[in-house]
Amino acid sequence: MLVGDSGVGKTCLLVRFKDGAFLAGSFISTVGIDFRNKVLTVDGVKVKLQIWDTAGQERFRSVTHAYYRDAHALLLLYDVTNKASFDNIQAWLTEIHEYAQQDVVLMLLGNKVDSAQDRVVKREDGEKLAKEYGVPFMETSAKSGLNVELAFTAIAKELKHRSMKLPNEPKFKLHDYVKKEVRGSGCCRS
Amino acid sequence: MARREDGRDWAYRVDPYGFERPEDFDYASYEAFFSRYLVVLTRRAIKWSKLLKGNNSIQKSLKVKRYIRKGIPNEHRALVWMIVSGAQTNMEQNPGYYHRLLEGEKNAKLLEAIKTDMNRTFPDNVKFRKTADPCLQHALYNVLVAYGHHNKAVGYCQGMNFIAGYLILITKNEEESFWLLDALIGRILPDYYSPAMLGLKTDQEVLGELVKMKVPAVAELMERHGVMWTLVVSRWFICLFIDILPVETVLRIWDCLFYEGSKIIFRVALTLIKQNQAFILEATNFPDICDKFKQITKGTFVTECHSFMQKIFADPGSLSMATINKLRETCREKVLSQG
Repeated sequence: MLVGDSGVGKTCLLVRFKDGAFLAGSFISTVGIDFRNKVLTVDGVKVKLQIWDTAGQERFRSVTHAYYRDAHALLLLYDVTNKASFDNIQAWLTEIHEYAQQDVVLMLLGNKVDSAQDRVVKREDGEKLAKEYGVPFMETSAKSGLNVELAFTAIAKELKHRSMKLPNEPKFKLHDYVKKEVRGSGCCRS
Repeated sequence: MARREDGRDWAYRVDPYGFERPEDFDYASYEAFFSRYLVVLTRRAIKWSKLLKGNNSIQKSLKVKRYIRKGIPNEHRALVWMIVSGAQTNMEQNPGYYHRLLEGEKNAKLLEAIKTDMNRTFPDNVKFRKTADPCLQHALYNVLVAYGHHNKAVGYCQGMNFIAGYLILITKNEEESFWLLDALIGRILPDYYSPAMLGLKTDQEVLGELVKMKVPAVAELMERHGVMWTLVVSRWFICLFIDILPVETVLRIWDCLFYEGSKIIFRVALTLIKQNQAFILEATNFPDICDKFKQITKGTFVTECHSFMQKIFADPGSLSMATINKLRETCREKVLSQG
């Protein structure tokens, strides 16, 4: 399930993942709650994801948070070019902790990193906040596709491991996987 | 007329309201339907011209109700909506009010919320493109800004952008769109859009109760798999079927919405569910159920708007306002007690 402020790019991220496309200005604002399906192959196993997309406007939260309890995973987005959307992350996390399952898979995403010149939230700030709350973090771009596949694949892997519960298999570590696979947005990342 | 490589008329790729038809649009079955519907439209146009002849007033009557259920011809739609909703009267009694709202002081936060949705309202409609002349985004912005300052308790709620957009497409007039929006949000619909969205939450529950009464097997399926109604129908209510059902069908529903009120929404929802009962009951799990609810809003059943409108008054059976009011009362209590 995708959550975050209005206009941070939840639908764009989902469409980029589902169809591999980014068409600027072709998206309509999501009203209420909607979903798209995608079948992924994770370690040779087909996983069907039903990905729920939500309206970011504050008043819809009381409508959509009723569904948190049924969500296996939550992708929480902010827009790196919009400080307010980052500042609201704490409020989103509070709400998630209140309504979601204790063991929900959670990931923080800083979207729109393709707009380097408009960036107002540094990657370090996102990393710091994520660390504080113990959630995996990455920066994404629905426009360039950066880390989009990775974000959903990582979630799918985690969910698959949980549902299979193979005793002999080493535990899948979402944090480590994300750290290993994530790509930076700049050209000179060390 | 310019022709594309596939020989299809270029102009035909865009519907009469400016919406681009999707890539997978089924032209053959639409043409088959439309040639039949054209006969209906012609007959209705003649009847309506006689009814409106020489006067622009309509008294509520069984005849008018019957006429409206059979569809208002597009050339009279704006006028009839204005009259039967009371928007015309309000506009005449408040001359200049709309323009004063636009000239007054503005709430910056409200403007920001509206701006966020400007490029996200009907990007598939050529009249809402930045390159269009006139670009309807300006009218849309004005209507939403004026309404947000007129009805401060509601301000701006996503979904209103689509509704105002349709009103502008039909009336081609900002001020009329504003007063029609006020008729819908201020009078016809119960509190769907205010921050607590109490009316919306209530009506979703009311639908659940009505399904229990009229299509119990589906209600039982939803209950068994723990699917909340809000998941599958929130957009039906908030957008009044825009982007859910085909444009022509939505307009036919709105004809009745303006005349008969919000209970039409339940009739449409119940008809969709009842008609597709067997199909919905094939679902064996939560995601399947959600898929089915999306699929039942597509296909010839909903495209053939004339027969669809006949069905909504026959299929769900009797649906009195008294029943709905009673359910609204109990469901409202339930929603309030859940916090």
